[in-house]
Amino acid sequence: MFENGLVSEIIIGFWESIYMTVVSSLAAYVIGLPLGLILVATDKDGISPAPLCNKILGFIINVIRSVPFLLLLVAMMPITKFVVGTVIGTKATIVVLVASAAPFIARLVESSLKEVDKGVIEAAQSMGASPLRIMCRVLLPEAKPSLLVGSAITMTTILGYSAMAGFCGGGGLGAIAINYGYYRQNNEIMLIMIVLLVIIVQVLQEIGLRISKNTDKRL
Amino acid sequence: MEQNQVMIRLEGITKTFPQKTGTLEVLHGVDLDIHKGEIFGIIGMSGAGKSTLVRCINLLERPTSGKVYLDGQELTTLSEKDLRQARQSMGMIFQQFHLLMQRTALENVCFPMEIAGIKKSEARAKAKELLELVGLGEKTESYPSQLSGGQKQRVAIARALATNPKVLLCDEATSALDPNTTLGVLELLKDINQRLGITVVIITHEMKVIQEICHRVAIISGGLIAEMGSVEEIFREPKTEAGRELVFHEGDSREGYTGHLPHCYRIVFDESNSNEPLLGSMMIECNAAANILAANTRNIDGKVYGQMMIQLPEDEALRERMIANLREKRVIVEEVEHV
Repeated sequence: MFENGLVSEIIIGFWESIYMTVVSSLAAYVIGLPLGLILVATDKDGISPAPLCNKILGFIINVIRSVPFLLLLVAMMPITKFVVGTVIGTKATIVVLVASAAPFIARLVESSLKEVDKGVIEAAQSMGASPLRIMCRVLLPEAKPSLLVGSAITMTTILGYSAMAGFCGGGGLGAIAINYGYYRQNNEIMLIMIVLLVIIVQVLQEIGLRISKNTDKRL
Repeated sequence: MEQNQVMIRLEGITKTFPQKTGTLEVLHGVDLDIHKGEIFGIIGMSGAGKSTLVRCINLLERPTSGKVYLDGQELTTLSEKDLRQARQSMGMIFQQFHLLMQRTALENVCFPMEIAGIKKSEARAKAKELLELVGLGEKTESYPSQLSGGQKQRVAIARALATNPKVLLCDEATSALDPNTTLGVLELLKDINQRLGITVVIITHEMKVIQEICHRVAIISGGLIAEMGSVEEIFREPKTEAGRELVFHEGDSREGYTGHLPHCYRIVFDESNSNEPLLGSMMIECNAAANILAANTRNIDGKVYGQMMIQLPEDEALRERMIANLREKRVIVEEVEHV
């Protein structure tokens, strides 16, 4: 059933998928988290309202979010080539994953931060806290449990996208599923890839929820 | 205690909020002096604008017009940065406590000191001291979710005191607490006022809170100060409709006598005459009966006051005689239109 070397290829693919997901998530958070903070802070009821900035940023985020991932993968090829020197493989996929996930994260972070009790923010203001301090010392720590749940959702979404990138020469389990399962019509391989992806999603989700629950001090 | 130095001065404070259609004017020009070291109450029905007013003191709400002074310094013209500095000399506590849920009691108390740039070790030592002051020395490592409402408010008080403020603003600080816990928190506020000499401003809709600890009180109604004076004065002889409404009906059930009754009077007597059968002897002396509609006693800053709502007979001459008889006995009598 298995060709020679396929097992080791699957193992490599598995690690590639994990690698792409983790690295893309981290990089996307570096961009998305500050964007989410800015969205919340500049809201008209936020801690330093700037409605125009808020509208423009929101618009850009919506535009990027509305481009389907597969189209973004193709449309970004020149940029990807410029950044990592190639348009195929894991590195190239990571670039597109980051571009696609960052605005998604910004919105997720925004909604998590908006759950923070307005009164607590008001209390911090009454103590003379600056907007930056409120962001770093009130909004982020108070929203931590919700942010962690959001990051689990993000990682599973990114994993799904990374598998999709297999169609355009991306690496990982998705590529194996496409190349063996789809083009060579090997249903077993396809099934194995799907099972592996499901397991990874379950594990990521579970870890995220556990950490979130265990670090939440609200009982 | 220096009684007449002004700590907080509000001049012509107005506040309007933009609405979908037009604007909503919440405050219509409030002038107020709050003295150094006093406990000042601001009481009003919900919607009277009292929460907005207290937020105008530390500029959490910017007044639409008017000036705010704290200890002689005008706050309304300060830059954002200087205002943040000035806010460190004003502590504030809230109805819903507003503690950081992901921090322990101790870390919560440390937070304002973090903002003020106080060294961490110093802050922790001070926070421990403050938690002991509010009676929570054992709970330093507890998270807010592990504390009761009264304990949370004590943490909030300790937090508000962390930067040695001149003023403590309390926005309905006891409204979410049960009566016993309320008493405890009010005792604590009184104690803090006496021990540290901090000026305390209390916003409430409950006359009980005012009676318990305030020195002076302002009644706010429809966005204006309706009347202001010592708690005793306001209680004995409220001059305005808003004042009467608050003094009479606090805690009483209005059911059963909500109709419009003619010839109703409110009488107030204090310790000096509460031991005598005033009403009874008046009725015997005038040979006429009065209908008692309601009665209660109040303890205001250690003095006992009694008040009654009575209905007197139709006959005007007789009524006049009964009133005169009561007034002779140093009882305050005033006609009220609505019981």
